[in-house]
Amino acid sequence: MIAFSNTVKRYPNGFEALKGVSFSIERGEIVAVTGHSGAGKSTLLRLAAGIELASQGSVLVNSQNVSQLKEAGLAVMRRNLGLVFQDHKLLFDRNVFDNVALPLSIAGFSHLESGKRVRAALDKVGLLNREKAAPITLSGGEQQRLCIARAIVNRPAILIADEPTGNLDQAYAETIFDLFRSFNQVGVTVLLATHDESGLERLNCRRISLERGNVTA
Amino acid sequence: MRGWLTTHANACGRAVRRLLAQPTVTLLSVFVIGIAITLPLGLYVAFANVNAAAGRVSTEPNINVYLALNASEQETRDLERRLKSLGGVDRVAFISRESALQEMKRVANLAELLGSLEVNPLPHAFAIQPTAVDAATLEALRKEITTLPKVESLTMDFEWAQKLKRFATFAERIVLLLGLLLATAVVFVTGNTIRLQILTQKDEIEVSQLIGATRRFIRRPFLYFGAFQGLLAGLVAVLTVMAFVWWAGVEVRALTASYGGDFSLRAPTLNQSLGVVAFSGLLGWLGAFLSVWMYLRRVSGR
Repeated sequence: MIAFSNTVKRYPNGFEALKGVSFSIERGEIVAVTGHSGAGKSTLLRLAAGIELASQGSVLVNSQNVSQLKEAGLAVMRRNLGLVFQDHKLLFDRNVFDNVALPLSIAGFSHLESGKRVRAALDKVGLLNREKAAPITLSGGEQQRLCIARAIVNRPAILIADEPTGNLDQAYAETIFDLFRSFNQVGVTVLLATHDESGLERLNCRRISLERGNVTA
Repeated sequence: MRGWLTTHANACGRAVRRLLAQPTVTLLSVFVIGIAITLPLGLYVAFANVNAAAGRVSTEPNINVYLALNASEQETRDLERRLKSLGGVDRVAFISRESALQEMKRVANLAELLGSLEVNPLPHAFAIQPTAVDAATLEALRKEITTLPKVESLTMDFEWAQKLKRFATFAERIVLLLGLLLATAVVFVTGNTIRLQILTQKDEIEVSQLIGATRRFIRRPFLYFGAFQGLLAGLVAVLTVMAFVWWAGVEVRALTASYGGDFSLRAPTLNQSLGVVAFSGLLGWLGAFLSVWMYLRRVSGR
């Protein structure tokens, strides 16, 4: 489902964030990318989501070479991914409902269908009673769950999450990991970057360890 | 198809909401663009009215030859024959002194005054239509006619009409140039308004791109915004010009009536008005397109 092959990511200043990384993830797997800060975890996830392009090697998502996709093809690919960002990337001028509805609006869903899906997604992350709230009034954990609701509202086959529990306390973090586990149990492939050891134990999943841009385990 | 319609309806709704969200800014932008369109439209209407007035005047060269009052019938026929035989003469029409008097009574409302005269003071005349229109040939023809017997005087009064025609052509070009310059200004003004809109929507654009929005999807509400702004500005321009034509038209009608004329100012037709509004909308759309295109090109890494 996702395959990196000798993937190198080199920035214009010459810094290599990934130095020939190779691995593959099968459909329905849950995989955690671990490593210290600066190991290349976020870069790896950004390459998988097509936010950045590989300098060498290839990144295949659903058998499509991300580097070779044109703008429209890339947009279609991203619509089939669920992306959870460490900094949430919420729109603070819209309420909870509208934030979650954004991917559906992009995909051209009707208001009726959109409403059903948004409420189902909010229900899954436990925010159904906050649909009219402004994101700024939510706690850090609620904002992360809102970000997850937006990622799953399109019913993606792949969920990519970058440090989803980075700023959360243990109780909230456990809730988030339990959510990822529940999505995986219904067939969603999950690729997440984290250095939360207790969370990894809770997930009990395959790990890809990165160190200075190389896969070490 | 349904999805396509839904995305367009959503984009359209978002554009309207953005227009209504800042009514003062929207009104200011619409009026700035409206004024920029009013200027060439107003000049065009003025030019069309001058043209209509000039259209009532013949600009074809025409030479009027007036005979001596004592010219006999035979001498008049001889002169007509000689005029027709001259090179450069296309048509010769005889105007008898009696018909000239009748015409003068009719046109100049001088029936009472002319009726009081005991003798007809007007001479026989020939109206000559030359084949040439250049000044040198016409001058040579004038000299030749002057030497003919019983020719008392001669007028060639088409030059001012030709000057008016040249002025109208010049004015037409000025209006076209001004129109092009102000149309470019409209594109830039709209582009700048959209650029400010983009800056306030920067986060939304970034998030939308990350979760699968195409450039077309991001562009769409801005294009509607620009087009709506342009349409409203076009409407402002048409209404302003119509109001001016109505306001000034009353005076123009009164003025021409005092000279015995019936000229009145013409407002833009319905088709012209719709054309201006549509063109203005197109300019707004173009300004928005260029602005969003440049922004996305700058922020996109691909």
